[in-house]
Amino acid sequence: MSLEQATALVVRGSDWSESSRIVTLWTREFGRVRALAKGGRRLKSNFEVALDLLTVCNIVFIRKSSGGLDLLTEAQVEERFTNLRTDLPAFYAGCYVAELLSDLTEDYDPHPALFDEALTTLREFGGLGKLTGLRLLSFELTLLGELGYSPALRGCAVCQKPVEAGSFGATAGGVLCPTCRLKERDARPLSPGAWSTLVALQDDPTQWRRELSDRIRTELRQHLGLYVSTRLGRRPRLLPYLTG
Amino acid sequence: MASEPAGAVERLAAALTRLPGIGPKSAERITHFLLTGDRDVAAMLAAALKDVIEKVHPCRECFNLTEGAVCRICSDARRDGSTVCVVETPRDLAMLERAATYRGLYHVLGGRLAPLDNFGPEKLTADALLRRVQRGEIREVILATNPTLEGDGTALYVSNLLANTQVRITRLARGLPSGSTLELANAQMLTDALDGRRAF
Ligand SMILES: [Zn+2]
Ligand SMILES: [Zn+2]
Repeated sequence: MSLEQATALVVRGSDWSESSRIVTLWTREFGRVRALAKGGRRLKSNFEVALDLLTVCNIVFIRKSSGGLDLLTEAQVEERFTNLRTDLPAFYAGCYVAELLSDLTEDYDPHPALFDEALTTLREFGGLGKLTGLRLLSFELTLLGELGYSPALRGCAVCQKPVEAGSFGATAGGVLCPTCRLKERDARPLSPGAWSTLVALQDDPTQWRRELSDRIRTELRQHLGLYVSTRLGRRPRLLPYLTG
Repeated sequence: MASEPAGAVERLAAALTRLPGIGPKSAERITHFLLTGDRDVAAMLAAALKDVIEKVHPCRECFNLTEGAVCRICSDARRDGSTVCVVETPRDLAMLERAATYRGLYHVLGGRLAPLDNFGPEKLTADALLRRVQRGEIREVILATNPTLEGDGTALYVSNLLANTQVRITRLARGLPSGSTLELANAQMLTDALDGRRAF
């Protein structure tokens, strides 16, 4: 057992009893931490306020060596994203970020760059209109890259032969050459516009303010949705709420 | 999942542990009390439970819990039918009623928008609220969902749904609790209190 300090984003919470909660925290220092917060539901407690979903807080917790739940002893609010509370697409996109961080990462596998990018993403959501989807797409590509799941975009995901747009296979893990696409059951057409957007965002995630047709945005959302579902082993809960 | 316990005593204890705030120890104590104490208490409890299960259901208008077709509040002619306060649960409604200052009607959503827990907008009674508003008697809808992220998301969803009606939409104020002091407030409470300030 050891006492640890961290900066954390609350990505999941569920009531454990009348007076305590189990929270999943995505920390900058330790990656995912699951902890029991006793008294986390007490009325007016600062603790409860800090443990609201998608709140950034400074925490102190007791790390259990036995592999059980850690015990949260302190939580102070550092930042809240009011922009997620005034724009419904931003609210859903924020929840999707929480789902990805909570369910696609491992306990005690820190990715500080991804933590910082998650916070930047959450700050930038809100009032983006049709750009919300592209901002989210940029985050997803950063996350996939950090976790070692980057989609192959310049060479066939199966045989590595140089290839660009044409076909995308979520299971194979990226673009497919004309030969390999015939063997991939989930191969789907990938338009040149969607391909060049993926390449541009993979090269520079900050280039998400792009003018795209509704058709390409929808196509990108479908490809990424299937891609993330394959890595996650199930369809993300938030997927039905996201628009291109 | 543990396998289904065999005996009636174990089944009762297992059922009790599913209640909020009751752990295995309390469940065992209650079970023991019901079995060895006054048998009438156990029979009364059983009858009361059977009664609520059979008789209590959501109000046709506002989805508050009631034994009639329409709840006590909806059928009270002295209440102001032009204002509807939207809450997450019947328990929240009861809390507001206890404050005894609100004279309008309610609408119970039946939960909050929690897509991470697979609780989507289709599980809320928001469509029924829209139909109530479209009847034209309601002038103001007060969104009184919790000031949590999911409560705010729920309020956002409902206000978007009502956006094409003529109704005035308001949200509960947030900020400093009466009787508290600035010294005890956290940064968010102070920010909310400043944002929500009004003419004095
Ligand atoms: Zn190939
Ligand atoms: Zn009613």
